[in-house]
Amino acid sequence: MNTLILFIFHAVNLLVIPLLLVGLIRKFKALMQNRTGAPILQPFYDLAKLLRKSQTVSKTASWVFTLAPLVSLAIALISAILVPWSSALLNPECAPWTNFLLVLYLLALGKFLTLLAAIDTGSAFGGLGASREATISMLVEPTLIMGLGALALGARSTNLLTIYADPINPFIAVLVGLALIITALAELSRMPVDDPTTHLELTMVHEAMILEYSGRSLAIIEYAVALRTCIFLGLAVQTLLHIWPEYYALSIFPRYLIGLSALSILGIAVAVAEGVLVKLKWRSVPNFLAYAAILSLLAALVAAAQV
Amino acid sequence: MSVSELLGGSAACCGAALFFWLAAFIIGMCRPKYSGPAITIPMIAGSVCLLLVALVGGYETIFIRVPWFLGDAGFFFTVDPLSRWFLAIIGIVGIPVAIFSPGYLHHLRHRVSLGYVWAALALLMISMAGVVLSANALVFLVTWEVMAISSFVLVISDHEQREIRRAAFIYLGATRTGTAFLMAGFLWAHYLTGSWLFTDWALSGTAALGPAILIFIGLATKAGCWPFHLWLPIAHPAAPAPVSALMSGVMIKTAIYAMVRIFIVGNHINAPAIGPILLILGAISAFWGVIFALLQHDLKRLLAYHSVENIGIILMGLGVSLIATSYNAPVIAQLGLAAALFHTLNHAIFKSLLFLGTGAIDARTHLRNVEQLGGLIRRMPWTAAAFIVGSASICALPPLNGFASEWLLYQGFFGLAMNGPSVGSRLAALFLMGWLALIGALAIACFVKAVGIVFLGVPRSEKAENAHEAGPGMVSAQVILAVLCAVLGIAATTVMIPLSQITAQIGNDVSLTGVWTLPMPLLAIILVLTVGAIAAWMNQLSKAHPSRTFITWECGFGDLGPRTQYTAASFAQPISRIFGAIYGYATQITVGGKNRRLFPQTVDAETTHEAYLETKVYAPFLRNIQRAAGVFLMRLQAGSVHQYLFYMALVLGLLIWVGVH
Repeated sequence: MNTLILFIFHAVNLLVIPLLLVGLIRKFKALMQNRTGAPILQPFYDLAKLLRKSQTVSKTASWVFTLAPLVSLAIALISAILVPWSSALLNPECAPWTNFLLVLYLLALGKFLTLLAAIDTGSAFGGLGASREATISMLVEPTLIMGLGALALGARSTNLLTIYADPINPFIAVLVGLALIITALAELSRMPVDDPTTHLELTMVHEAMILEYSGRSLAIIEYAVALRTCIFLGLAVQTLLHIWPEYYALSIFPRYLIGLSALSILGIAVAVAEGVLVKLKWRSVPNFLAYAAILSLLAALVAAAQV
Repeated sequence: MSVSELLGGSAACCGAALFFWLAAFIIGMCRPKYSGPAITIPMIAGSVCLLLVALVGGYETIFIRVPWFLGDAGFFFTVDPLSRWFLAIIGIVGIPVAIFSPGYLHHLRHRVSLGYVWAALALLMISMAGVVLSANALVFLVTWEVMAISSFVLVISDHEQREIRRAAFIYLGATRTGTAFLMAGFLWAHYLTGSWLFTDWALSGTAALGPAILIFIGLATKAGCWPFHLWLPIAHPAAPAPVSALMSGVMIKTAIYAMVRIFIVGNHINAPAIGPILLILGAISAFWGVIFALLQHDLKRLLAYHSVENIGIILMGLGVSLIATSYNAPVIAQLGLAAALFHTLNHAIFKSLLFLGTGAIDARTHLRNVEQLGGLIRRMPWTAAAFIVGSASICALPPLNGFASEWLLYQGFFGLAMNGPSVGSRLAALFLMGWLALIGALAIACFVKAVGIVFLGVPRSEKAENAHEAGPGMVSAQVILAVLCAVLGIAATTVMIPLSQITAQIGNDVSLTGVWTLPMPLLAIILVLTVGAIAAWMNQLSKAHPSRTFITWECGFGDLGPRTQYTAASFAQPISRIFGAIYGYATQITVGGKNRRLFPQTVDAETTHEAYLETKVYAPFLRNIQRAAGVFLMRLQAGSVHQYLFYMALVLGLLIWVGVH
């Protein structure tokens, strides 16, 4: 029974919610722009369509180009299981796996190959996207590790299951939660760092990197991005929910539902932000991400003072 | 009866290694033009002997007394877990380097006497093994100097180029200066303890500070720690690739060995200031190395700067260990030491792999400037695959070995954050975690640049266009090292067993195997299976809708040429601009043509940077010394025979006077 529930839970978490969240963000973004927008289920249709199409591969591309989407999807799936982004519902036996440094570096492995694949076709757009993505991740990584390190110091463990199993000091939770939202916007190539819907290649980051992908490869990239969206936004949501001291005391099911509703609220907030904000000039991106760095440094200070 | 007893014990194995390398040395000296199996086989055999000592020699400490004397100190050697660890590093890198070298040196045969290169390589191997085995300071200094001189000979082997001669002399100057500090420190320690044996050097408190700082500066110069790193990015590009691999992979690590031996394990010089110094200089080195590496277009210089970075990471581990000892946290101290030693091994493997890859490219294209390369993944598939594995490993990506040691270092920082006595120290430890993440992300950017520009895309020059795969020896050497990168990362639990023998010396009762909790083998299997499953699914889909091969999207302007690709300089530009103030980064764009505002005919972009430490500190300092020395030496050495005769008489008189008293 327990195994069955766990199986269903993971299947829903991996297959349904990520794409639903992307659909939700798109729908609300359209509403913000006074459009009806595509149905919330559109990402599913898109994926099904892309998987049924043939793909075009550049003649310059090598095996790196083919391998990168496969590895990044595999890593996104593994991380989506390991990170308690919907709520902690993993067996305690998984504890050695859920070390946050391991998960972040696994995600970095996916990014490494994706960056290489962008250069692989010899297109200047790919190079530009890769260069900018590398810069953004250079600005984001320290914030993520310092912020999660501050949470970990409170829990005295670098294990995500332990960190999110107990109440977190509300100050640290707010600071780290906000830092995580800002880094998630950058990491997921959303406004105001990058515009996911632009059609001018020179302003794109993520879209420029995957410009050469089509058909089924593009489908798995889109799916991996949807999973990463859930991981990063969900982690921020879980951190912020821990301000509410009773949250960790709830039983698993209500906790899961509350977590998901909070995640959709954050998704809607991201959509609203995309409707209101303008994309930052590329040179101002470091200044924007500096806010996240300062927030997680403050969180580290509070955590260090508290021990 | 253990395996090592069957082979006649560790001492006999060390003797056999010495014998093989001496044989290689003699063959090389006798036949300057020769470079073949008669010399590579003893070279490999010597390394295999060292590996035997390290891997099956057990854990006990063995003293080897050679019946020679250096003044009042005996010619003594010790084999203990720490020296076995470094013997393993020498052996592991020594074998692929010996397999790689014949193929590589072939393209230098008209300019260089290959036999002499082999002789110097053999001497370098002997001296490096000697350094990590020596039991007392005098033997250490002798082997240290042989190591410096043999590596100098190797750096200058291609001496017909002026640039290489200059690089070699800078290296010689740096290593002489380092030895001077080291000697001063050793003399001071001998004066305080009355012994040359490292095991007798138990100093602590303020008395220990003087010798500790002198010894540290001497060793840091060899290791390439900031601010003593300036020789590294100059000497490595000048040396032949296998030599760079040995120097960067192993030789600079002997300094790490000496730091561990003198400052951390056993009876040691215990100066409390050394821990923070190691941590701070390590943190600066790591950052400094990687941001300068990002600017380099010479592949070997880029790798040399990454050595500065990785030495910084290793020193941070040692710093964590010393600081944790002062906090009375033996587990964290062991973690820090284990991180440093493990990273020393890992860096030896992936850095020599990357240098050998660069050597293979150099041998096939005669190019090292990344801006002229490109598309090599189709022309040199094995070299490319090995280089990508090495790059992922140096970027600390799981499940490769670089991740294992950096994870230990993260845990060390986290331990300091939990055990620090003050808010400031705990915050500093958390900050250092972020700092290490920054360095890791910069390393990823740097190696995406290196791999992407060199191996991917379209060739940027005719030489790169015509490249073909390196010979079987060169390829197999790289494949061995690439496989080792994966094996050591996945089987990190096994590596913890010999490591815990060393770390037990600074705080027993704790097993390191319990600290390493990550399920790497299972993770690697699951990762491979998931990727395999997705690939099989994609393959299934491709049966109904096969892929189409077409040109890269060119916005409808016609087929793209190599010059429309992104360049290394433009790839590094966003990050370089952020850190621009540190090295005066500037971009000049000149637009030319008759009506250049509307119809530009030529557009040139050039980026420049200035290493302020070199140009504003070292250069004026050296200039002043040279000037002062010039004035003084001119008087002393005026070319007059009478004056020289006077000096000789003076010295003779002095010697007689000393002898009488």
